[in-house]
Amino acid sequence: MTLGPVTLRAVDHRVMPRRYSGPALVVALAAVAFSVMAFSAGSGSAAEPPVSTNPADIQAGDALFTAHCSSCHGNNGVGSVKAPALINSGAAAADFYLSTGRMPLAEPGDQAQRTRPFFKPPEIRQLVAYVNALPQINGQPNNTGPTIPSISPVCDTSGGAGNVADAQKGDYGFEGAGGQGGALGGHGPGPCTTLAQGLQLFSLNCAQCHDASGSGGMLSKGNVVPSLKDATAVQVAEAIRVGPQPMPIFGPRELSDEQVSAISNYVQYLRKPADRGGLGIAHFGPVPEGFVGIVIGLFIMLVATRLIGTRE
Amino acid sequence: MTTTNEPATSHRDGSPVVRSDLTEGPYPEDTPPGQDDTWYRFRNDPAGARRAELRIAVCFMVTAAASVALAVVYVLGGQPQAEGALLFFAFTGLGVGFVLWARDLLPGHDIAEDRGDHSGSETARQMVVGALNRGLDPMMERRLLLKVLGLAGGVFGIVIAFPIASFGERPLRTLYHTAWRPGLRLVADDGTPVRLGDLPINGIMTVFPEGVTDDNGLAASQTLLLNIGDLPFKVYPGHGDWSPILNGQRYVAFSKVCTHAGCPVGLYNRGSHQLVCPCHQSTFDVLGRCNPVFGPASRSLPQLPMAVNGDGYLVARSDYTEAIGPGFWNRGDGSNGVKPT
Amino acid sequence: MSTTDERMAARKRAEVERQALDAIDDRLGSSSFLRSAMDKIFPDHWSFMVGEISMYTLLILIITGVYLAGFYHASNTVVTYHGSYKPLDGVKMTDAYRSVINISFDVRAGLVMRQIHHWAAVVFLAAVAFHLCRIFFTGAFRKPRETNWIIGLTLLLVVMLEGYTGYSLPDDLLSGTGVRVVYSIIESIPFIGTWLAYVIIGTTYPGENIEPRLFVIHEFLFPLIIIGLLTAHLMILWRQKHTDFPGPGKTEHNIVGSRLWPQYTLKSAGLFMIVFAVLAAMGGLIQINPIWIYGPYTPYAVSAGSQPDWYVGWLDGAVRLWPHWEFRSWGHEIANPFFPGILMPGIVFSIMYAWPLIDKRLYHDYAEHNLLDRPRDKAARTAIGVAAITFFADCTFASATDLLGNNFQMPFERLIEIFQYGAFVGPIVAGVIAYKVCKSLQLSSSHPIKRPTGGIIIRSAEGGYHTLGDDHGAGHGADGRAGNGHSVDGHDGDTVGADGHPGDGQGRPDDEIEEPVVAAPAPPAQESGPS
Repeated sequence: MTLGPVTLRAVDHRVMPRRYSGPALVVALAAVAFSVMAFSAGSGSAAEPPVSTNPADIQAGDALFTAHCSSCHGNNGVGSVKAPALINSGAAAADFYLSTGRMPLAEPGDQAQRTRPFFKPPEIRQLVAYVNALPQINGQPNNTGPTIPSISPVCDTSGGAGNVADAQKGDYGFEGAGGQGGALGGHGPGPCTTLAQGLQLFSLNCAQCHDASGSGGMLSKGNVVPSLKDATAVQVAEAIRVGPQPMPIFGPRELSDEQVSAISNYVQYLRKPADRGGLGIAHFGPVPEGFVGIVIGLFIMLVATRLIGTRE
Repeated sequence: MTTTNEPATSHRDGSPVVRSDLTEGPYPEDTPPGQDDTWYRFRNDPAGARRAELRIAVCFMVTAAASVALAVVYVLGGQPQAEGALLFFAFTGLGVGFVLWARDLLPGHDIAEDRGDHSGSETARQMVVGALNRGLDPMMERRLLLKVLGLAGGVFGIVIAFPIASFGERPLRTLYHTAWRPGLRLVADDGTPVRLGDLPINGIMTVFPEGVTDDNGLAASQTLLLNIGDLPFKVYPGHGDWSPILNGQRYVAFSKVCTHAGCPVGLYNRGSHQLVCPCHQSTFDVLGRCNPVFGPASRSLPQLPMAVNGDGYLVARSDYTEAIGPGFWNRGDGSNGVKPT
Repeated sequence: MSTTDERMAARKRAEVERQALDAIDDRLGSSSFLRSAMDKIFPDHWSFMVGEISMYTLLILIITGVYLAGFYHASNTVVTYHGSYKPLDGVKMTDAYRSVINISFDVRAGLVMRQIHHWAAVVFLAAVAFHLCRIFFTGAFRKPRETNWIIGLTLLLVVMLEGYTGYSLPDDLLSGTGVRVVYSIIESIPFIGTWLAYVIIGTTYPGENIEPRLFVIHEFLFPLIIIGLLTAHLMILWRQKHTDFPGPGKTEHNIVGSRLWPQYTLKSAGLFMIVFAVLAAMGGLIQINPIWIYGPYTPYAVSAGSQPDWYVGWLDGAVRLWPHWEFRSWGHEIANPFFPGILMPGIVFSIMYAWPLIDKRLYHDYAEHNLLDRPRDKAARTAIGVAAITFFADCTFASATDLLGNNFQMPFERLIEIFQYGAFVGPIVAGVIAYKVCKSLQLSSSHPIKRPTGGIIIRSAEGGYHTLGDDHGAGHGADGRAGNGHSVDGHDGDTVGADGHPGDGQGRPDDEIEEPVVAAPAPPAQESGPS
């Protein structure tokens, strides 16, 4: 079982904290084990600690929060007329909004959009630690939100060997799935997900807004559906759990952690899908295709007729 | 100014070129006198012609080279970009070669000829009418035959079209009903039954009647289940128990088939609690019982009457109480006689 | 060049040719036709070759289409994919979709063929539309060519449907959604809609019959109609001969251009090759319709940005723009999609079909014409054409409201409103502007100072100009035509010609003129004016 580069991408280098509890522990441990097996060196990101519970981090986060967030979200994240309370938003929401640069928001009430993160990765870790600790701070220890999800790796699906398809895998197979053995070929058991699972789940749950190619779209009231071309696997998983408005929320009873991983991994694939046909022209479908057909195709032909025919 | 009989086809220096033999041909109207049919651009310029010939030869060589490369690519297993690019060079070589050949080394420039007359003469037209009536006149006298033929043709024409009906069953009531039946559990696309409480607030899920697997059943029965929390929901008289509540969170279910053109209404804006159809942007207000608030749709998405069974699973109270999906000619008011239990 | 050997060879070749021709002519008597065919003259103005682009793209569509048909499975049977595209491994899909995935990934040269086919369809419709515009704006549809106008419009209608059915064959998430919408549009037709929809696919949507039936339509029925109509189109063109732009030396009764053999044959073959080259480059280098990314169709899934190919876009846009009106009474309903999806295109095509008649009334011109109008000289017609194009463009862009909204950060509600107003205001504004521009062009170009003093301008094969029969020199050459009052008066501003009529600079110069003057060369006087 070998993990390829995309699987590595799935493991976010900046924020890969995990909360080792319950079944997630098994999943996470197994993922770590696989990662270590595949890359005995250089897979340190997977070994990073989960959401920090270090009091120093929480304190630093408190300072940052007071300086940059509390004007809208209130002291201790209790919310205000400008912005919602954050007590039960959870580490996932904090990490998502901060690591995608959606927060802090220039104008409360605007739709938060992806931009350059305002905070540096260590600062985000501290803020996430602080938001994660908000239930305790506010004396509501049970009012917790989703934590940062862990992503299962992509299964090695290249069971067969020796056919033409295998020889060209780099061409259009999933580049991360370049396997040597067939021990776990096909839908291998264990905590890994296939791209096929991801494609089907994405198609049913996500494509209607984000487009089948992940290039985004439009909701009512001027709400933009963002492109997923810049989203890391962890961010995708966080968004599914958190439902950054206007996106709906997908709870664990609807999409299991494994299914969320499958979607996240498929979205990673969509960031650079197999464009076997050539230039992808933004994967926006028939509209740019028609544009290219007329503006490039017909235009060149018309130029040819101008050269062949007379012009008077 | 004076008109001139000079043809529009003299060349270069303006001196008329003397036509050779073809003027004497059998179709004198085709080639007005004085036009040279054999002149081409480099006819009197052997050096230029030689250069032109070389240029064209290079073009054709490009084609030959690209063809060899194309064969290699194909034998090696093919590669779309290489194939496209090589085909481009091969065809361009031929195309440019042909055009240059035509331009530089072949005759046929700017010939003028008479259009001729494409319509027939008066006599010819009269003769056609005569010939036509030679048949029609006696035919029209046989009134009885014409009438009976008309009858036979009409009846036969209709009957012969009957087999077209074999292409489709009669619509009858199928368009008014879905696969939902009283007591059928709501299941996710993988068949897992859904409990009240499975969705977070602002959660959304596509559900189907349990046990339905055929595409037609799924297509018509697809339903959106939403947890709208404690927001005010516009309940119609008698529909209060269609949308179960757990811990103050209300679950509602609506047909996913757009009432405009039938696309799955998948986009949920949880900020404004609106469902949007990705095809034509019809927008439905979930809290207003999915009434259309924007776009071309003119009817609400039908609501699925729901209940909770003894095990806590969501079940249908009945089928939808009206025809789902887009309108059709005999839809009427859409009522299908279903009464939720 | 003319060595003895070559002369000998030529003589021998001539003998062989003669024998072959004898063999044919003895049986079919075709030498008369062959002779006139090879000598046939084709005006080679570049814009006349747009129709040829259409014809050649059609030929390419047939070639690549036959190839693809060899691998396509027209079946809605559900299968499980285990091919070489890993992200679909183990996914249930229809056999149709699997076969197109196989064409794209496992058939050598399959993807390049498929993409050439799809690009060719996109370009084909664009070329047909351009050709239609050329015919319209230059008045080439006038008597005696009304038949070909009608055949051409029918071709347009059929190739649009042909393109749509082809787009639907792969049964991917995008095209399946398109089929769903069209099913609803058919359902909405009054009286017959419900039954018609059932006859087409057999049951409620989606049924098991869509791909097999669409395939028969796409691969057999429509191509048969297209080839039949195209043959008629070309035969009529052959019989009536090309129109031509007015110009020195050109009259209603002559035709100027290249002979079919050999020059035009090679030029045209060259164009065919270049068209193929462009499509091959696009087919290999620019991805079109990546159905493996869209995924297989399931009736309860959908993708944002579901649009048809561009040539159906104006209908999709109209369906988006049409307000939420539908009519229900007496137990029946005329559903919303009927109006923009069936009625509107019906009206549009009816007007286009009737246009030759409308044009006759508009200009009181019932005469035969072989020389073309310059668009500026028929300001009203040009304005109407520009207005129509604006309407199509508005509707087409409206079919991308979600994409535009996403890219320009604008609510689609606002965009749709803009396009709704645009569908009314745009054509009026564009039409008025076009009318004014035509009028001012008419005026400016008939300015007396710019009027040429005379001379026939000949464009020689090298592309240069010189003047015939006039000693004023070639200086007037290049701008001689540009300075014309209109169509054809060219060389004799002082004799009775098209612009000999007072005040006609304002408008309809050709109304009463049977034959735009050209006292120039060519065959002696055909006085048989149009009847």
